[in-house]
Amino acid sequence: MTLAYIVIFASFVLFAVSVVFALGWAMSHGQMQNFQRGATAIFDPDEPLGTRTDSFPGSAANVVSPPERSHE
Amino acid sequence: MSEQTISIAQTESQRQAFARQRAAIDASARWPVLGFFTGSVVWLLIGTVLALLASIKLHSPEFLDGPSWLTFGRIRPAHLNTVAYGWASQAGIGVTLWSMARLSRTELRYPRLLMFAVLLWNIGMLVGTIGILAGEGTSIEWLEFPAFAPPFFALAFAIVTVSTMVTFSNRREPHVYVTQWYLIGAVFWFPWLYTAANLLVIYAPVSGVSQASINWWYAHNVLGLWMTPIGVGSTYYLLPKVLGRPIYSYQLSLLGFWSLALFYNWAGVHHLIGGPIPAWLITLSIVGSVMMLIPVITVAINHHMTVLGSFRQLRYSPTLRFIVFGAMSYSAVSIQGSLQSLRTINEVTHFTHYTVAHAHMGAYAFFTMIMFGSIYYIVPRLTGWEWASGGLISFHFWSTSVGVLVYFIALTFGGWYQGLDLNRADVPFMTIVRNTLPYLQIRSWAGMLMAAGHLAFAALFAMNLLHFGKQRSGPTLFFDRPDAATLTVIGDAPGRTV
Repeated sequence: MTLAYIVIFASFVLFAVSVVFALGWAMSHGQMQNFQRGATAIFDPDEPLGTRTDSFPGSAANVVSPPERSHE
Repeated sequence: MSEQTISIAQTESQRQAFARQRAAIDASARWPVLGFFTGSVVWLLIGTVLALLASIKLHSPEFLDGPSWLTFGRIRPAHLNTVAYGWASQAGIGVTLWSMARLSRTELRYPRLLMFAVLLWNIGMLVGTIGILAGEGTSIEWLEFPAFAPPFFALAFAIVTVSTMVTFSNRREPHVYVTQWYLIGAVFWFPWLYTAANLLVIYAPVSGVSQASINWWYAHNVLGLWMTPIGVGSTYYLLPKVLGRPIYSYQLSLLGFWSLALFYNWAGVHHLIGGPIPAWLITLSIVGSVMMLIPVITVAINHHMTVLGSFRQLRYSPTLRFIVFGAMSYSAVSIQGSLQSLRTINEVTHFTHYTVAHAHMGAYAFFTMIMFGSIYYIVPRLTGWEWASGGLISFHFWSTSVGVLVYFIALTFGGWYQGLDLNRADVPFMTIVRNTLPYLQIRSWAGMLMAAGHLAFAALFAMNLLHFGKQRSGPTLFFDRPDAATLTVIGDAPGRTV
């Protein structure tokens, strides 16, 4: 019984420590700065902001050449 | 060559480079992710059959009451474990692997080892499920698989975690997007929980109420630290990607993750309110549960404000429709969960069908619906083949969403009345049992509706894998968008528009 409480409580503490450690890493590595850049990190020149992506891509070999593309 | 021409050429070459990179990432993830998805769909169907049998037996106990392996005591845990570990976990792992590779902008690491993990996982599922049906289940909720099954999952978990973390550590994108935080949390926390719980409950079992404490600390965290981070993380990636706009508040999204990381782990023991365990442990758990309102409200605001102004897109995008339904359910079930952990409410709802409704709101209306939406987005990118029928996806959406809502409403009311009656000494127990029958019958009908949706989903998935039918030249939408002509051709497949 005592073992169980030790494990549960130690896990609580370890969880908290791991979270605090990760938070410290994030702060010291600039992850908490420039939120605008962070929010748009998932977009790129091929799938830029303003482009909806709910269709499927094929292979890279089929990339459409510039004249076929239209931009919003 | 003019400066403008050079600039356009550079932009185009940059665009093609990103397109190639994404195609290479998808190719690296193809087989392991499709392997986990295939396993998940098979176990979804098996789990659904077991669910229907268990549901019908609760109001018609004479139904298939002959063979011992078909009795409620075996069918019900077999259902829980097949849907939790066979369907939800495998779908979640597939989404995690693909999303981490995409967000890290690098190929998925150790794809062959991951295929071995797929094999391990499904062997574990098979022997575990047969073990439960054969009467070898442990009778400990969420950990019913017999002792010979968990090592398969533990090893598979280890491979998944190593692959995810190595992929992450090789990332080309310096910023750690909020979804990555959620996914790292999931693959880091859950194997730890699973191993610790199995050690203390199955292999070196502690006695008495300590076992129950560990049991519910673990069981609640299956939803909170495994399904929730994957479901919410996937939403934070797919909502902006589908809509083509960033999330409303990136600050709020990070606040949501870090507060979930700090508070959720404390919440599980509220399942034992009224039990003979130290009061401080339960009180601590209630505090953790109520504190969960912080991440839930931040996520709810963020999701709602991101979609605000684009609700029309729900008409066209299957992914968006499932994801938004799941995100709304997340807010609802989480607020309900915080309230349910309060002693005054829990003394009515505990040991009633109300809790079953709540669990299905979380595991199904929230997590499963987001997994459906994610799979609709991911699979065509892996197979290079579009979904065969928008109509069938629509049927899948309406049958599962209406089904789970009817399920939830029926059991919530039935369970609440059941709880009120159970607290009255003057109401005979059998009267209470009889009073629940109409709600249980409605649940079975709702379950059949959901099962029909699962069949449609499985058929679509199989047709996609087999490249069944004509190759389509555009995305499978519910309706043609009126503004389709103005949208951008994204290029990887000629003629495809978004």
